[in-house]
Amino acid sequence: MTGGPETTCPRPAAPISDYGLLGDTRTAALVASDGGMDWLCVPRFDGEPLFGRLIGGPQAGTFRIGPARPAAVVERRYRQHTATLETTWAVGSSRLSLTEAMVAEVSGRLLPTTLIVRRLSAEQAPVDVVVEFDPRLGERHRRPRVHHRRQALVCEWGSLAVSLSSTPELRIEPGRPTSIAVRPGHPVTLVLAVAHREPLIHVEPAAAWELLSEDETRWRAWAAEIDGTLPFREHVVRSMLTLRLLSYSPSRAPLAAATTSLPEDLGGVRNWDYRYVWPRDASIGVSAFLSLGKTDEARGFLAWLLHASRLQRPRLPALLTLHGRHVPAERELPNWPGYLDSPPVRIGNGAASQHQLDGYGWVIDAAWAFAQAGHRLYTETWRTVRGLADVVAHCWKEPDAGVWEVREPAQHVHSKLMGWLALDRALAIADTHPLRDRQRRRWQKSRDAIAAEVRTRGFDPTATSYVRSYGSQELDAALLVLPLLGIDDVRSPRVRGTIDAIRDRLSAGGPLLYRYPPGSDGLPGTEGAFLPCSFWLAQGFARTGRRTEAVEQFQAMLDYASPLGLYAEELDPATGAHLGNYPQTLTHAALIQAALAIRDAPDY
Amino acid sequence: MDWAGWALFGLVATSALTAAMLMAQLAGLTRLDFALVLGTLVTEDPDRARVAGFFLHLCAGQGFALGYAATFALLHRATWWIGALLGILHVGIALTVILPLLPGVHPRMASERAGPASTAVLEPPGLFAINYGIPTPAVTTVVHIIYGVCLGLLLQGN
Repeated sequence: MTGGPETTCPRPAAPISDYGLLGDTRTAALVASDGGMDWLCVPRFDGEPLFGRLIGGPQAGTFRIGPARPAAVVERRYRQHTATLETTWAVGSSRLSLTEAMVAEVSGRLLPTTLIVRRLSAEQAPVDVVVEFDPRLGERHRRPRVHHRRQALVCEWGSLAVSLSSTPELRIEPGRPTSIAVRPGHPVTLVLAVAHREPLIHVEPAAAWELLSEDETRWRAWAAEIDGTLPFREHVVRSMLTLRLLSYSPSRAPLAAATTSLPEDLGGVRNWDYRYVWPRDASIGVSAFLSLGKTDEARGFLAWLLHASRLQRPRLPALLTLHGRHVPAERELPNWPGYLDSPPVRIGNGAASQHQLDGYGWVIDAAWAFAQAGHRLYTETWRTVRGLADVVAHCWKEPDAGVWEVREPAQHVHSKLMGWLALDRALAIADTHPLRDRQRRRWQKSRDAIAAEVRTRGFDPTATSYVRSYGSQELDAALLVLPLLGIDDVRSPRVRGTIDAIRDRLSAGGPLLYRYPPGSDGLPGTEGAFLPCSFWLAQGFARTGRRTEAVEQFQAMLDYASPLGLYAEELDPATGAHLGNYPQTLTHAALIQAALAIRDAPDY
Repeated sequence: MDWAGWALFGLVATSALTAAMLMAQLAGLTRLDFALVLGTLVTEDPDRARVAGFFLHLCAGQGFALGYAATFALLHRATWWIGALLGILHVGIALTVILPLLPGVHPRMASERAGPASTAVLEPPGLFAINYGIPTPAVTTVVHIIYGVCLGLLLQGN
């Protein structure tokens, strides 16, 4: 073992799609194919970054272990149906493999809440590798107080401590690359443990490796419960695992994405913090879980929503923190260069105060799906749903920010349709749950009024298509959910015309779609194709009996997945580069919904 | 020791605390719901849990009132301000000891260490119960002071 120079290794920025996700359902890390863990927030998804190189540059910290010299990746994959990531490099005549994961199940045992296991092993001949451990906490990249205790390196920042231990024992200094040789048959295992407001818990690397194996067994059992006949099953399982890894177990809150400020437009202003929970996106995920028999996850979400929304009830907040609190005000971090030098880096989210009518539709639809699956809503859950439906009945005429959270409120047709859905599904739930006649009549009246208004003011008869907002001729890809709603027959010219118009006029090439005409959202710059919309198109085809087109669309979208089967929010149609926060819950939920729609496609 | 006063005024003070807590919830200040937290020890249905929890809370309030009454007896006087001080001590113990320890014993409360296999859906309170809303420590302090003041005044008058 030798100490290296006291500078970090120069590394080119990796494409977003190069990153793999490690997670334990409490926080998540992103790891590049060169072995660099460039993103990890502690102690939770929305905590302070410990490794922030992804958007903060070299001074924001990283934890890289991999070949000492540039080497080609010959294989990179998740172990089947698990959250364990394997990267294999060809180094001369040798192979070097990095196997890594976070231990998810620590409850009931004396284990640290965050435990990351990384093992390097060589085949054929010894391989020179480098270990670069450079933790820098938070906004100001704070360096730790460093100690060496019990064969472990301990880094401390007040109430937060991190230990790094290894087998064989390595003398690692933060910020200083360490070179070692990994010999065949003698793997090197590194274990990172995090303690927050509690003592560090030391875990022997061999024991940590065993824990990782136990986790793999649990994930495989979890995945085995997913319908074996599902089309595109492997992709669905990866998406389900991704959704579950991004669901915060202590509160059951499903996170929108693991990152903040990955740009939707390189060099633009569209950098947002997605480490929060959008009830809308979460509801789509719940429906996906429910459709695949994962009732606990669906029940957990409804319980979270019930609890989280109490402070603002009956209004539905556009987004919440993992514990259901108000999202911090949006602010920019100075001295953070951003991904590929694309500032600003933001924390907090300014959309929290917006009125978004569509959210009510998604949430009540999720509750309806839960009831449809044979589960009775608790009285309090039903009371909450009734409160949400009352809000819709009362304020559906107001302009809102819509699903795309535009800063200038408008009469969005998609929002009105989702308002209709909210009331329709609430009335459907009322078939099996108690409801006063007066309330029922009020909902019916509002639902019918929405339908009448949308059909006249939100429909362009010359284009045979619903439009983005009243009086506009622009389209909105969110309208692709039309066949799911039931407001119009799925075989009607209105539905078919809308789907075809969106496919033709919002096309970004191939299977890709823009969510609305580029440059029409009031923000400077442009953005990429919006990936959930492409899966909604596949779903729309399937729901309207166009199964062949649905399969083709879905299949084409699979080509745009990252090598590990992950998706960001957007994609640059010109380069195929992933854009925006990553991996993205909404995209993966849309993928699952599309696969389910293809499975259940009617034959008209 | 005023046993009759304890039996009656314990209920009155707990009712006042519960009413103040309910008002704070309705005002959107906190999501801490004593009845729900206690009641889900015995059932997962939130509505049944609230009923069970209400009675458990009354019992707990009566138990704590015993401590207040005993303290007043030891001091040979009961005043509103001694009650308020005891209320502050009481809430200090509740926020720093009782609530943080709950995830360890509550069958339906997740902990900050919960993993994918956890089916507990009740959110853990976190430090000073701020997971239930930032104003929660302030709200719980106020309602416990009300509880202590009620007992101090009523036992004094008795």
